[in-house]
Amino acid sequence: MAPAIANGGDSGLVFNIQRFSVHDGPGIRTTVFLKGCPLRCLWCSNPESQDSHPVLMVRDINCKGCRACLPACPRGAIAFGAAGRTIDRSNCDNCLQCVAACLYDSLQRCGSRLTVQAVVAEVLQDRLFYKNSGGGVTLSGGEPLMQSRFAAAVMAACKQEGLHTALETSGQAPWEEMERVLAWADVILFDIKQLDAALHQRTTGVGNATILSNLRRAATVRPVWLRVPLIAGFNDAADHIRSVALLGKEIGAQKISLLPYHEGGRSKQNSLGRPYDFQEGKAPDEERLKLLKGLIEETGLPASIGS
Amino acid sequence: MESQTLSPEKLRKKVVSRGIRNIKRGTVDDDSKRGMFRPEIRLDLQRSRLMTESFKQTDGQPMVLRRARALANVLNKMGIFIREYERVVGYQTADPNGIYHPIDQNWKSPRRLANSEAGKSLLDAAGRKELDELCEYWKGKSMSDRHQAALPESLKPYWTYEGTFLWSQLSELGIPNYEKLFKVGLNGLIAEARQRIAEIGTTIPVDYVEQRNFLEAVIISLEAVIAFAGRYAALAQKTAAAETNAGRKRILEEIALTCGRVPAHPPQTFVEAIQFFYFIHLVRYLEYSTLGIGVRLDHLFGPYYENDLKAGRITREETLGILQLLWIKLNELGLVYSPTVSSVYGGVASLQAVTIGGTDENGKDVTNDLTYLTLEAAKSLKLIEPSIVLRIHEGTPEPVYAKAVEVIKTGIGYPSLFNDEALLPLYARWGVPADEARNYAVTGCVYIEIPGKNMMRRSCGYFVLPKCLWWALHQGVDPRTQAQHGARTPDPAGFRGWEDVLAAYAQQVTFFTTKIEQLERINLELYTEFCPRPFYSAVMDGCIETGKEARKWVYPSMVHHFLQVIGGTNVADAITAIRKVVFEDQRVTLPELIAIMDRNWEGREEIRQACLNAPKFGNDDDYADAIAAEVQARGEAAMEAVKDRYGYSHRGDGSAVSATYGLAQDTPATPDGRVDGEPFCDSTLAPAPGKDKKGPTAVLKSVSKISTVQTFNHLLNQKFLPRFLEEDLKPAFMGYLKTWKEMNIPHIQFNIVDRQTLIAAKAQPEKYSDLIVRVAGFSAYFVDLSAGLQDHIIARTEQNLT
Repeated sequence: MAPAIANGGDSGLVFNIQRFSVHDGPGIRTTVFLKGCPLRCLWCSNPESQDSHPVLMVRDINCKGCRACLPACPRGAIAFGAAGRTIDRSNCDNCLQCVAACLYDSLQRCGSRLTVQAVVAEVLQDRLFYKNSGGGVTLSGGEPLMQSRFAAAVMAACKQEGLHTALETSGQAPWEEMERVLAWADVILFDIKQLDAALHQRTTGVGNATILSNLRRAATVRPVWLRVPLIAGFNDAADHIRSVALLGKEIGAQKISLLPYHEGGRSKQNSLGRPYDFQEGKAPDEERLKLLKGLIEETGLPASIGS
Repeated sequence: MESQTLSPEKLRKKVVSRGIRNIKRGTVDDDSKRGMFRPEIRLDLQRSRLMTESFKQTDGQPMVLRRARALANVLNKMGIFIREYERVVGYQTADPNGIYHPIDQNWKSPRRLANSEAGKSLLDAAGRKELDELCEYWKGKSMSDRHQAALPESLKPYWTYEGTFLWSQLSELGIPNYEKLFKVGLNGLIAEARQRIAEIGTTIPVDYVEQRNFLEAVIISLEAVIAFAGRYAALAQKTAAAETNAGRKRILEEIALTCGRVPAHPPQTFVEAIQFFYFIHLVRYLEYSTLGIGVRLDHLFGPYYENDLKAGRITREETLGILQLLWIKLNELGLVYSPTVSSVYGGVASLQAVTIGGTDENGKDVTNDLTYLTLEAAKSLKLIEPSIVLRIHEGTPEPVYAKAVEVIKTGIGYPSLFNDEALLPLYARWGVPADEARNYAVTGCVYIEIPGKNMMRRSCGYFVLPKCLWWALHQGVDPRTQAQHGARTPDPAGFRGWEDVLAAYAQQVTFFTTKIEQLERINLELYTEFCPRPFYSAVMDGCIETGKEARKWVYPSMVHHFLQVIGGTNVADAITAIRKVVFEDQRVTLPELIAIMDRNWEGREEIRQACLNAPKFGNDDDYADAIAAEVQARGEAAMEAVKDRYGYSHRGDGSAVSATYGLAQDTPATPDGRVDGEPFCDSTLAPAPGKDKKGPTAVLKSVSKISTVQTFNHLLNQKFLPRFLEEDLKPAFMGYLKTWKEMNIPHIQFNIVDRQTLIAAKAQPEKYSDLIVRVAGFSAYFVDLSAGLQDHIIARTEQNLT
């Protein structure tokens, strides 16, 4: 049964297609990162994914000071001074004309509109690797369910090519959107960040009621792998991880992955011209990770660190 | 017999690395203040001394007999010793820290080295004096002197390295027919030679005298080798008599028995087979400086091991111990090269590889327990040599892959994987019969040979392909001197498209290959006359049978001469950039681009960026990959257009060693955006460093578009983080390897190390003296490489995980 692909299904906003992903599901995979996210997690490692439109990313390290971008900006938001180039972000409307002018790849576009066909063509490039490693395609983001029609269309096309498909989601979406994509997913990589609703609200900008309700429903129709981004002092308490494990057990999750916090988001926030507000972010140490992994395994669920 | 008592860690400490350090980069000093060798290494003059002594006595005799008698003099008189832990014996020098130099080939470069800052620790004052005296005899008689004297004026500019190719005097390869040797022993060969002498004594062929001299030389050499083993037997017997430790005494008695039997007689046990092999290997190095091994270890020795095991003569653990002892022995081989050669051999000792896996002549998988033990021995010792070559084919068992990954994970850079399904069709094109092709082995790097076949396979040197492109863009004229050095190709101002650039490039490749062949032709004629190899000829098929020394004829269906080509990807990326920037985007004209390039891009950075940002090979982008496939195939065809003295084509070969770094020094800026002197891509299939933006699957996809059968035996180096081979990711890595195989890519090898470790090792070498990296077709101690080569290795793209 082909899904109803109507408005918004033919193309979508993609900010990266990562071949040779080995941490987003089984085997060698291609992960397609879709733009747009309803959450604003403090520790976000892909902040460039958050907005539902293309954004300017600046890599000053590549800038040679040639000033080719200066006349390209219609709003005059770019300036050169003693300390090099500055961009007035409050005056930037992400028209990205400066990106085209830059010779040194120091101004980059994040997010392009791609057709389903283009995405699938790229994904199919590594078909042999999927076959030999038990891999496939993973849709991630951002939150891929924000473009659920496009996501479903990509998944469906991949499925029709016989590929293994995985959806990586925060779970924050109306159930209907999730259901639309689930129809084509072989496995769901479901993020669980915090079981305490208030704390969830405070650090991600949304509560977790929808997420938890979607999780329970999704688990009845598709295999689920739970993924917990682990931040020291925030969600790495033994009791919390044990509760996540018990929840996983209850819904019949196949495994739980612990993903230790990393600072990948810091430099990206910088290149987006935003402050990094999560100075206190830290990964649990090795010993603690082992302990938490053990706690999960005690419940009889397989656990892994990092993937 | 009890197992050897030294742990792998203790055994490793017995090894003194003979890896050479680069002290030159092309024509300039790289790091000449430090020694070319580790400080404990000494130049051992005994081979030179004994050879010279014999040559002085045999003046006037036929050369083949003189060479045999010189070898016999070395084997009869050289100092021998047995170290306190050894069970396999034989040394090429009188001192455990020694290396030798083949003075009969070239005396100038060792003397220059021994008197330089970089080589002064090799000899003391008395040694330097003796070396001077020995050199005196070889003036005008060494092969290098004879070659230079014979060269016509017109060829001299091509003999001298100027950046396009580094012609190499050494590097004649070959794999003895060990299977036959193990069946008949050297006594069997001597009997064959005697029989042939008797035969020609009645038939009197037209070359009777020549044949007879050769066959007598064979007998002299082989008898000398047997006597050499006998000297070890006697020494072991004597040492055993004085030994008080009962266990050690038994081992010494075993050595005495073994060396009394082999190599005269066929080996009966595993340890005898190993000792037999080692004597032959060692004498091959002593007769004539050479490289590599080429033994199919599991296939050749497996049956001896299994017989011993069945008979209860040996245990698995003990066998591992013997292999470890053999590994130590192989690390004791090494020789002095010239300082210029150090720019291509950074970190190399003897480029020895052992081959395991693959099929027998009938296509049946040869895996046995020794396959696993070989990998285990390598893993336990972690030494730079021997490198292990694992032949992969359709029937390679799953556990072999798993064991191989376990060893690759240690970071020692091997086993490197060779893909039978990609390579066998290439050998078929070379004219090798299928059954013989299935028996191929790798001697070192990606040098491929058929055991026992007299191929006289020789590397003529290092061929810098980007420099050929550079000549094509300058009509063969050196802009600095205005001399017409390359071919007079058409004026680039008239080029209508990238195809014209490619055509001019191919012409230059043929032009320089012709020059190489002319140099080589004179060289081989001289070697045939002045440097026959009676011992080597005896252990190859067909020489005794026909009474012909190995250089007088060749195995009729193989490549004999090859050129170690470097920078093929740079040429491809350069031509792609010309297509994009000049002919499509029309940013500049071709003459303008050449002018900008010749000023090393000065003031025109935007054009360099445009060239850098043009599509690059290695990203699964057909625009760049299709041109790369064409450039590789046309380049090979251009080399093949030139025939050697036996009537066979010259060919490319992927064994680039560290030339991609060393010889890039003398190629000015190229249109791929490369600046003057910048290193080339690190192997014949490698994308430009940092230009493979789409990860390792895209690299393999691009590489698979280069046809092996239309080109040659390539080399592909990939670098991964250690984490990628951890347990939970192993299935993904295995999937990657299987896809590599399915894509018919001929070769792959891995550096498994993270950047931080390399950076730390560069800063604090004393803490990382054991850190091994894969450079090209060989592994080396990272700390032995020059700072520039270290940076080059650090810069290779680390295939990251997401």
